[in-house]
Amino acid sequence: MRRTTRTLAMAVGLLSIGLVTACSPSDPDAGGGAGSAERLTIGTTADVINYNPLVGNSRTDTWVTNLMYPRLMGMGLDGTRTPYLGTEWAYAPDGKSAKVTLRDDFTWTDGEKVTADDVVFTIKAIAAEKIGVVAGLIPAFQEATALSPTEVEFTLSEPDGTFLENVGFWMPIVPEHVFSKVGKVAEFANDADWVSAGPYQLTSVERGQRYVLKRVANYPLVDGGPKTAELVFRVFPDVNTEALALRNGEIDLIANALPPALAKTLEGDSKLKLVKVPSLGWAHMQYNLARKPLDKLEVRQALAAAVDYEAIRRVALQGSAVSSNSSVLTPTLKQWQDPSATEYAYDPARAKQLLTGAGFTDGNGDGLFDGLSLRMIYDQADPNIAKWAQLVRDSSKEAGIDIKLEGLERNTYLAKTKERDFDIYAGSWAIMENPPANLTLAFKCDGFINYANACDPALDKLIDESRSHLDQPSQKTAIQAAAKIISDQVYDNVLYVEEFTFAHSAKWSNFLVQPSELLSIVNPQSLAQATTD
Amino acid sequence: MTISRTSAAGSTPTAGTTAAALPPSESVAQQTWQAFRRNPLGLASAAVLILLILVAAGAGLIADYPSGYGEDVLAGPSAAHWFGTDDLGRDVFAQVVWGTRVSIVVGLAASVLAIVIGVLVGVAAAYFRYADALLGVIVDLSLSLPVLPLMILVAALAGPSVSTLVVVIALFSWPEVARVVRSQGLAVVPMPYVSAARVIGGSHLWIIRKHVLPGVAPVIAVSVVLTTSRAVLSEAGLSFLGLGDPNSWSWGAILHQAQRSGSLATAWWTTLFPSLAILLLVVATTLLAVAYNDARNPRTR
Repeated sequence: MRRTTRTLAMAVGLLSIGLVTACSPSDPDAGGGAGSAERLTIGTTADVINYNPLVGNSRTDTWVTNLMYPRLMGMGLDGTRTPYLGTEWAYAPDGKSAKVTLRDDFTWTDGEKVTADDVVFTIKAIAAEKIGVVAGLIPAFQEATALSPTEVEFTLSEPDGTFLENVGFWMPIVPEHVFSKVGKVAEFANDADWVSAGPYQLTSVERGQRYVLKRVANYPLVDGGPKTAELVFRVFPDVNTEALALRNGEIDLIANALPPALAKTLEGDSKLKLVKVPSLGWAHMQYNLARKPLDKLEVRQALAAAVDYEAIRRVALQGSAVSSNSSVLTPTLKQWQDPSATEYAYDPARAKQLLTGAGFTDGNGDGLFDGLSLRMIYDQADPNIAKWAQLVRDSSKEAGIDIKLEGLERNTYLAKTKERDFDIYAGSWAIMENPPANLTLAFKCDGFINYANACDPALDKLIDESRSHLDQPSQKTAIQAAAKIISDQVYDNVLYVEEFTFAHSAKWSNFLVQPSELLSIVNPQSLAQATTD
Repeated sequence: MTISRTSAAGSTPTAGTTAAALPPSESVAQQTWQAFRRNPLGLASAAVLILLILVAAGAGLIADYPSGYGEDVLAGPSAAHWFGTDDLGRDVFAQVVWGTRVSIVVGLAASVLAIVIGVLVGVAAAYFRYADALLGVIVDLSLSLPVLPLMILVAALAGPSVSTLVVVIALFSWPEVARVVRSQGLAVVPMPYVSAARVIGGSHLWIIRKHVLPGVAPVIAVSVVLTTSRAVLSEAGLSFLGLGDPNSWSWGAILHQAQRSGSLATAWWTTLFPSLAILLLVVATTLLAVAYNDARNPRTR
């Protein structure tokens, strides 16, 4: 009988998923949360894994460390660089060196000034130890010198028009007097006694619960210092519980982008405000050219014609996405966009025609071409992709193409992606704001994230050519030609550019919107200047 | 849980010449049926299970296969959509109907696999005394494993598919069957008719097939039902965690999609109906097993 009781208990337990959804946990922050200008409480769904800003790369890592370590440049809504710690930057006429001028009013929390030496130390450590993404973004870097406390000069092995933007936005500056004493910088956990130079300083951590940051009064980028005395990141199991907590007033802001369906249900709530944030990346499918029959252009074109792009944006994304005209130069990046680009047409009949032309037949009359069954992998935890993957499968079936979905647990997905163990890859890029640099990684023959296994000498030449120019207008011609090849050859099938929705309590205002999920309204400037009514 | 010796012995009427001395098999079945018929809960459970099996078999007649998308996203229950629609505008009623098929197939297949392994191990442990200690340790060890994390690990590594689910669930369900079958087998093996069969020179295989297996059959019947309901729960749990087959509908998969879309808190219909279906199946199988066991056992009849 014990087993019976247990089975029943399990059944009731599972049912309660449906009925109770999520009971709000008791709130230790109650009373001091919403409504108090003394504290802004932010919901997140993960812990900080790494406090070392040069190593950490999860979303929560970035949100928290961004508040503590400045960068040389910030980012405007269209992906252009804005002054931050750096005020001016330029390449030498021969392109073999570059200079950045720094502000002189940033100080570390232990009283030391932020100087050019910190910048020099940081980039040298990254280059020497090959730390994180930044190391891969600065292949031309050779040497850095502090010309004065506010001037840094970088020496490059060859002209590289992407260097300054990459180093400016992607490299957090760490204090030399702390990080130089820890041995290998890449192995430094930085998990206590933080010395930082952002608007807030991390003071206490309860894993799985909360991260508390205190105001740094002399932060120079907000007049009179940050407005709110304390920021608290609270950890929730998922976005459903975050939404409940926001509605109950337990938190003031959800750091994660809301899934479109959830955003829609929050629209009518007068106690909340929704903020739209453009993405700097795109969602896409890539066809593995190293596998037959995906090496045939007609097959890739047929696959592209079997996707109902409009329905994906309208239904799966609930309209919070725009078309990128099947181009890797997305509409967010206005200064790069190619107005002549057009989206692949959704046309199952044409897809069938292309496949018949490529020699495929439907011998057994089941409506599907024989020998054309493709595996599509995606991260099953990604709410949007898991949704449109089903639409892609169903519309492809109409074109006679059998697509088997493989929604994988994140680590398995990453491993399979790394090994290129898939026919079709479905995923999204978070930030692809600098086309010459990004296309190098994503489409050159030996590119680190070249998931399509594309190798096209003409494309490589165009990308290299664009990088050799030092100013954006000259880079643009070559990059647009490269993007056209990528679209014509279906090396990448860009489905849409998402418009993220973020929610905060209507009591708060004056947030500053920056593009992408990583910056959104959780960027340092925004949190420092936010105020309550 | 144990069945009385009388009933175990009564179920071996095929044992050659002794058959005439025992009551005919119909009478045992009839007595069970008579007792079962008097239990309204058991009858109702059986009716619910038959209904669910009919729904599973005739899913195509009841609702169109849910695919593509609809324009009414997250619409509540209405005449057009009895159970409402999900975040892609697909009919939840159709999902629950088609989900019945996968959930029951996975449940039954995993249960059959678990029963085969469990019965083999259980009978072997009861019959071959020298193997008992070793098999007992293996069963105890398997029972003490943290089942859910291991299931998640195996399902994640093997990749999501219906067959993976069946194997994974069966692999972690057989030890309980083995233990129940062994304890019943231990009561059957020392019986005089088993010794008699041995004396007349019957091979081990023949004795197990003709005497031991029929003796443990009642607990197997109960185990099939209970293991199936547990397998359905495991399937729902794994699918809810995203380890189900994304190419087919199951009740757990519907819950998973509801959770992932962020509509868990607002669109109650996306979670209530599949949860009710799971509850219905699990409660019905449990009550059926209890009712059958009571009807079968002369002491509780």
